[in-house]
Amino acid sequence: MRLGRYEVSLEPRPDPPTLYTILTAVAAILLALVLSSVLFLSAETTLLGAYRTVFSYAFFNPHGLLATVQRSIYLLFCTYAFLVPLRAGLWNIGLPGQVFAGGLGAFAVPFILGRGPQAVLAPWMLIGLMVAAAAAAGAAVGGIAGILRARLQVNEILVTMMLNSILFWLVAYMIKEGGPFMGETAEGESFSLPAPLYAPLLGGVPFTALLVLGAAVFLDVLFAKTALGYRIRALGENPAAARYGGINPAALSLLVFLLGGAFAGVAGYHTFAAIPGIYKIPGNYGFYGDLSFYGIISALIARRSALGAVPIAVLFGGLSLGARFAQGALRLPFGVDYALLGLLMMTFVASHVLYSFRLTWRRIPSEALQPVPTELPEG
Amino acid sequence: MWELVARSLDASAIFLLAAVGELVNQRAGVLNVGLEGLMLFGGTAAFILTQTTGSFPLGFVGALTIGGLLGGAHGFFSITLRGDQVVSGMGLWILSFGLTTFLGSPYTGPLGLGRIPSVLGLSPFFLLGVALVATTWLVLFRTGLGLAIRSAGENPAAAEASGIPVVAIRYLCVAFGGVLAGLAGATYTLSYNPVWTYNFLMGWGFVSLALVFFSMWNPWILLAGASLFGVMWQLSLSPELVLPGVLSRYVWRAVPFAITIPILVLISTSWFRTRWGLAKPEALGRPYVKG
Repeated sequence: MRLGRYEVSLEPRPDPPTLYTILTAVAAILLALVLSSVLFLSAETTLLGAYRTVFSYAFFNPHGLLATVQRSIYLLFCTYAFLVPLRAGLWNIGLPGQVFAGGLGAFAVPFILGRGPQAVLAPWMLIGLMVAAAAAAGAAVGGIAGILRARLQVNEILVTMMLNSILFWLVAYMIKEGGPFMGETAEGESFSLPAPLYAPLLGGVPFTALLVLGAAVFLDVLFAKTALGYRIRALGENPAAARYGGINPAALSLLVFLLGGAFAGVAGYHTFAAIPGIYKIPGNYGFYGDLSFYGIISALIARRSALGAVPIAVLFGGLSLGARFAQGALRLPFGVDYALLGLLMMTFVASHVLYSFRLTWRRIPSEALQPVPTELPEG
Repeated sequence: MWELVARSLDASAIFLLAAVGELVNQRAGVLNVGLEGLMLFGGTAAFILTQTTGSFPLGFVGALTIGGLLGGAHGFFSITLRGDQVVSGMGLWILSFGLTTFLGSPYTGPLGLGRIPSVLGLSPFFLLGVALVATTWLVLFRTGLGLAIRSAGENPAAAEASGIPVVAIRYLCVAFGGVLAGLAGATYTLSYNPVWTYNFLMGWGFVSLALVFFSMWNPWILLAGASLFGVMWQLSLSPELVLPGVLSRYVWRAVPFAITIPILVLISTSWFRTRWGLAKPEALGRPYVKG
């Protein structure tokens, strides 16, 4: 585009520095928060008061803070479930389905092996099996999308989305209207775990916190320091070059989906079987599926860094909880946490433009400018 | 029996309207995976407008406008900025999912107005869809504009060289796709099931997207696919009509989605690709950089 004597254009930015990455992430989140002020307009309090309600509940109220930590663990597992395939250039939007599969897998263990005093295994062994079964179930569901992508190049977005709907109804079948996992008394939710199978707590926080922090370090090391991580990144950045370089795209596509699905499966274990006060698959399990989309955004905003996603997930966990609290306290309309999800996604896409393009302008040399004819040509 | 068929065709109409729009923008080379989001936004806008004003036409106008605007936004990101079309499409979907939940929730519940008049129990939207299929086929394969659209999706550089304004054509098609997605959403909330609940579509948009792939980018095959899925959808809602007492009703709800996956697999096999693979627009999903 020409503006006066300048040629202005958008050019792709080759490899932005880390500081720039962090700045665009912060800008995206801040912008979403500013935009979300519309949501907090309430007759009950001023705008600042509304923000204070959100943040003080999420980060300074002892009860709220604990809930924030627990939700952050869930969101982080979801973040990694999305992040690993993304590094290979694949979109795992099957987080809800894989989370549901993880929940079903975890509850299948006490269902099959016994959940009362008649259980054959010690509780800690059962808990270990539950985590493993959740990871395996999530990986199996993710693996369907992975193997189809690997063998036949089937679009992974469509397959994972279909699996989300399938698993959603499968959970409904399992826990409602006389389904196998239905609770003894309550209709519409699964049986509750017996107290010995509650996940061990460390200062009120389930042990899954350690798992997720371990996963963060593992992923950063995997992608920064290992040949496997390098291959996955190469496949994501330039599939044609990767294939030419002897990288097997099929095996890697399957692998990233298995790993991603396993993370989402453990997220399902965490949220249904490890958070104090839940310990069952509740009737509103769909809400946890929706929440997992925050994981997509935090993975997208954190870009390459698994550890970098930790503060983002904590912030999102706190915001979504605080917003829900403020909704009740200030009588705001329902769905503030959903709206925030949408706004964050929008500001991410906007920041993505800033991140990957730069505005350049260049003075056009005077010789190149055609002189405007001042006289009529002869004849 | 006719009631079931009519109801199925009403469901087909929604798949069809959304998918025809997507087919056109894919033919021009732009992939919009956020179709479901556009439908959610269109449907919610239509519902709110119609309920507050009592006017159906106003609701439809609102849905078409918002669909067109969101389509245009996708166009700006993917055509002008040459961004990743999947990022933008997914962004639109999550944006719409979040915002419509917030905006629509005060209106949760039935529309509370009369039904849109129907002919023998069949709402006009299926007929509209069939007319659109015929028109789309005619325009795409029998007119200069259609040739321009198809060449923008196959080889934009060659198209540009032969004097076709690729950018304008792509914008036109993306906006058209958005308008039809908005219409599909409005058809859902104003005619098929005039009750607003959060995330009321639950996958209809993604099924429509899959239907475009199944159709091999041919409007007539799309019509057949959408009709089939409409019937399947309706049967999954009332399985007792065919197999009473077999399996839980929740399992049946999963069936249309479960069937989609084997079809996706079938059309991705090398046998199918070598036979029919050429139908896919060559430049689909790739931004066009003017040389």
